[in-house]
Amino acid sequence: MTKDIFVFVEYKDGSARKVSLELLTKGKEIVEKNGATLYAGVIGFQAKDIAEVVKGFADKVIVVDNENLKDYRYDTYVSVIEQLVKKYQPSMVFGGSTVTGKDLFPRLAARLNVPIVSDAVGIGFDGGRLKIKKPLYGGKVISWISFKDGISPMVTFRPNSFTVEKFSTNGEVIEEAIDAAKDQKYAVLSMDKGGTKKVDLQEADFIICGGRGMKGPEHFQVLEDIATTMGGRVGASRAVVDSKWREYDDQVGKSGKTVSPKLYIGCGVSGALHHTMGMDTSKVIVAVNKDPNAPIFGYADYGIVDDLFNILPVLKEELAKTKQEI
Amino acid sequence: MNIIVFIKQVADTEARIFIKNDQKSLEIENKFNMNFFDEFAMEAAIKTKEKFKDSQVTVCTYGPKRAIEALRTAIAMGADRAFLIDNTGFETEDSLIVAKILSAFAKKEGFGLILCGRQAIDDENANVGAMVAEMLGIPHASAVINFEVVNEKTVKIDNEIEGGKESAEVQLPALFTTQKGLNTPRVPLITGVMKAMKAVIPTVDPTTLGLAKEDIDLNASGIETVSLESPKQRPPVKIIDGESPEEKVRNLIRVLKEEAKAL
Repeated sequence: MTKDIFVFVEYKDGSARKVSLELLTKGKEIVEKNGATLYAGVIGFQAKDIAEVVKGFADKVIVVDNENLKDYRYDTYVSVIEQLVKKYQPSMVFGGSTVTGKDLFPRLAARLNVPIVSDAVGIGFDGGRLKIKKPLYGGKVISWISFKDGISPMVTFRPNSFTVEKFSTNGEVIEEAIDAAKDQKYAVLSMDKGGTKKVDLQEADFIICGGRGMKGPEHFQVLEDIATTMGGRVGASRAVVDSKWREYDDQVGKSGKTVSPKLYIGCGVSGALHHTMGMDTSKVIVAVNKDPNAPIFGYADYGIVDDLFNILPVLKEELAKTKQEI
Repeated sequence: MNIIVFIKQVADTEARIFIKNDQKSLEIENKFNMNFFDEFAMEAAIKTKEKFKDSQVTVCTYGPKRAIEALRTAIAMGADRAFLIDNTGFETEDSLIVAKILSAFAKKEGFGLILCGRQAIDDENANVGAMVAEMLGIPHASAVINFEVVNEKTVKIDNEIEGGKESAEVQLPALFTTQKGLNTPRVPLITGVMKAMKAVIPTVDPTTLGLAKEDIDLNASGIETVSLESPKQRPPVKIIDGESPEEKVRNLIRVLKEEAKAL
């Protein structure tokens, strides 16, 4: 069996998603150990530009380009990747634990009758044996999972699990003509891709999250300004979303999104367990809260005990200065 | 219409969890609930039954004996029947095997519509729904936020897609996984709770579902847990002091730059 790795590449607005480039970077590091091949699968319509970018990250870029693949659908994408996996026989298939990945990979794994490990956050080695790191119970337990010999699993990883590095040589682009018929039983009536949100919450390097202490939706503008300055995203606690101050798409936590940005700043977030379960894999956590006993301080690296309405305007100004320096 | 709801009993988010000395298994405080996202599936099933009166809501889980309590919750909410497929001696973390068992159950029972939560909050896999649909050869939609059974053949839904949402019309039989925001799960009435307490919930032996034993037994999985460990503890919080908000923020920015290298 090969030791090759196949990464399913997601892209948006003409560029590959960061999570896909992270997986390619990690995949390259692994295949290089044993002279195996790293494949990047780019599937879609008029996706050749993406392939040109991705070839800086993979040994071989497999492009399947046809009109039926313009938008992601599980039926067409599963059957295309199924055929690619059968042809190229990789030892593992990697993808992002994204909205698309969570829809696609289980169905693909069932089609191929292989196991799947989802929502992983890392890769390690035990002797020569590869093992996958996956949090359980909202991060209360970290499990390490390995595969029996001869198994070619699917593994999906959370965004921000690895760093992105381009390597020096360009890979070969191979076009595969695979036809994929749409399932007539599933008719898409309309599609709203959002569009206005700049960065995906799970992929953001910087998240500033507002809690109940923000006192109302009108006060989130300063968080928006800070997020824009930092190229990040505004998040919200469950209480805030339940009060309809922010959309569900912004929710960080157990019943919302699990995030691991490089820097997370919680403002007026108390730090209830269901929230911290969704953010405690963040690299650096800052909490601003006027209550020194707020549980969030038990998770934070740095804390400011003060009224956030005094802190936020200054924080906005100072972060803007920092950005100008760079 | 036969509606099947697959649920999972999961540890409460507040439950204390300890890693046993073997570093491979867990001891979980005895606080278990129906999985958060499965409650939306239950509610959608009961609403559908209210619209199509001749429907039957069957709830099923593959789990240990204690999971019968989650099935009772489902009956209290309004499920007509419940089945516990008892996993004693077959415990697995492998979604592929769980999906094989649940799809075998669905095949045996017959179904027009299958609902389940978008993911379990313990392993956060989000696998079993789409896998069952694939094994049954029916369409699926993940993370449904609007759901309406139009007639015996057609369902209209909105669901989450990358960065937005999609509306679709799906022909039954089909499977849908439910997302927060779909509905407000009902709190069982006392009459429902009484009914649930008295309900006889049959236990199903997983080997009677027509699957080969070697496909579902303890050696069936292609994955194995190497070890379990506790997450790294963060050092205690450093409270940033200062005479004024300005000073505090400046001190914060400095440590974020110099110490944490986060800016």
